[in-house]
Amino acid sequence: MADYSIVAENLTYWYGDLVAVDHIGFQVGEGEILGFLGPNGAGKTTTFKMLTGQIKPKGGTATVLGWNVATHCEKVQGEIGVCFEATNLYEQMSARENLRLFARLFGVKRFDADALLERVGLGGRGKEKVEQYSKGMKQRLMVARSLVNRPRVLFLDEPTSGLDPVSAEAIRAIILEERNRGATVFLTTHDMMEADKLSDRVAFIIQGKIAALDMPHNLKQAYGKRMLKAEITADGRLENIEIPLDTKETPNAVRDLFSQKNVVTVHSEEATLEDIFIKITGRGLKE
Amino acid sequence: MNWRPIGALVSKDFTLFFRNRFFAVITVLSLVMFPVIYFVMPSSVDETLEIGLYAPVLPPAIQQIQEAEDEGLRLDVVESEEALKKGVTEGRYVAGLALPADMTEKLVLGEAPEIEVYFASHTPEDFRDIIDIVITEMAYLQIGQPLDIDWQPEILGPDMAGSQIPQRDRLRPLFAVFILMTETFGLAGLLSEEVERRTAWALLVTPMTVKELFTAKGIVGVVLAFSQALLILAVVGGMGEQPLIMVIALLLGAVLVTGVAFLIASLGKDFLSVTAWGMPALIILSIPAFAILTPGEVSSWIKAIPSYYLTDTVYRVSNLGIGWSEVWHNLLILAGCNLVIVAAGILTLRRKFQ
Repeated sequence: MADYSIVAENLTYWYGDLVAVDHIGFQVGEGEILGFLGPNGAGKTTTFKMLTGQIKPKGGTATVLGWNVATHCEKVQGEIGVCFEATNLYEQMSARENLRLFARLFGVKRFDADALLERVGLGGRGKEKVEQYSKGMKQRLMVARSLVNRPRVLFLDEPTSGLDPVSAEAIRAIILEERNRGATVFLTTHDMMEADKLSDRVAFIIQGKIAALDMPHNLKQAYGKRMLKAEITADGRLENIEIPLDTKETPNAVRDLFSQKNVVTVHSEEATLEDIFIKITGRGLKE
Repeated sequence: MNWRPIGALVSKDFTLFFRNRFFAVITVLSLVMFPVIYFVMPSSVDETLEIGLYAPVLPPAIQQIQEAEDEGLRLDVVESEEALKKGVTEGRYVAGLALPADMTEKLVLGEAPEIEVYFASHTPEDFRDIIDIVITEMAYLQIGQPLDIDWQPEILGPDMAGSQIPQRDRLRPLFAVFILMTETFGLAGLLSEEVERRTAWALLVTPMTVKELFTAKGIVGVVLAFSQALLILAVVGGMGEQPLIMVIALLLGAVLVTGVAFLIASLGKDFLSVTAWGMPALIILSIPAFAILTPGEVSSWIKAIPSYYLTDTVYRVSNLGIGWSEVWHNLLILAGCNLVIVAAGILTLRRKFQ
């Protein structure tokens, strides 16, 4: 138990008749990034809220850093950083004032707001009111705010949603830096590529239940197919050929391809997390 | 209770309050406008009844009545009946008496002289009764038979004769309620904004608890409302009598409006709905203060409005100089109302933060 920063056991929550989270269980180790993937309404945000102490579980327990979140909420919240999906900054205040407010709430002494702003790419913009910021800048500030107390566990809810590629990449870099520092990261996202790049393990949640939980590589191995894709010309037309890589016929098929066909391009292809998700859950993330 | 996050939130709220141009303007406007209204209004009440008189032959009794000017009656003799009518029409006289030339002779002979009495169309009924008494008195004086009545006036409560409360001093409770309610809008606006912009959830995933959040908001509401009400009343001379009672009354009033702000914020989703819910609250809480503007006993149902106990205390302490023995029950009832309203406000608003 001590090696796990987050432990969920039989975690359950319902809104009226709708069971949003249905007896789920998982652990996240220290310094690990867990990607929590699922379509809208799958139970990601409800799980996020239970783990961060925003709502109390109606069944089961959530433990963060060894403390039951329902009974030791303040202790947990003193050690975590939370980045919400929707921007909820004080827009009439400057970025620096926003960060300083939260540093005071956490009781952080000798807090250097400018250094943190520099780290998220907002150096020199600290005096500006947040209402003047672009969406990408606000999201960077949201991430910065979740880091003011150097959290041991970082909860990020769709941190790159709707951002331009540059801002998204900057935030991904910060998440990896935090992991390298030793922080545990619980990351909910729609973005399979992002989850694949960042996560040590991913959990697929659908209709309140965890459908799969493993390392992306293992999931791909277990559920995906490796293929060799080639473009050839035949009778002056371009054609596509796919050769499965893990069958007995593969060596002969590859040999035939190069000896008998006029190959234009060739590349190998692994299954994506999106393919695996569809295979396991029977539906896509954006449905 | 951890005071560190409370202090941080209070400081943030004051910063945001004064950065909100609307609330800043309303606050400054109230702080300037109320004293201006107070000081431009007359500081005293003219209690003298001015009556015009036309008499072709001035009876000796008139002189005696003119000598009684310090008792609140002044007779102004004019030269013609036309001038008398004009004086009444223009409002210089509450009434005009036109005496006949043979008045004295007729009175001596026991006949009834005919006196024309002119009233302006807006003259209250009470004044007509007063003029009736003046004429009767004048007739008796004229024929040398004063009314044989011995009466001893006894004033119940402070004798305000000659020192009636000017209308501007009656306004003091209204100033207090208005300035307190202005801050109610401010606090309710800050609260609803925390919910609307979801910043409250950012606060509540830090070590700050809902209880500490409410404490911080309560402190902001009470300090904003109390300090400004105290300032206004000090400027308009409301703190001269029994300052301790006034401070306690205003403090309780500030707690009352903070509870009301919690209730409004729990009903409103944004600034517009806060204003929509706040207006009825402002009107209801102002009713007792308006009632005080008109002399006489207030209707008993007004006592069901909690702000009555604030306005009654402010009015009677600042204008009549009464002490603890007369207002302790007001303060006690106000404190009780505060408990109920603040508890209701916290209970309803709490649901929004969970």
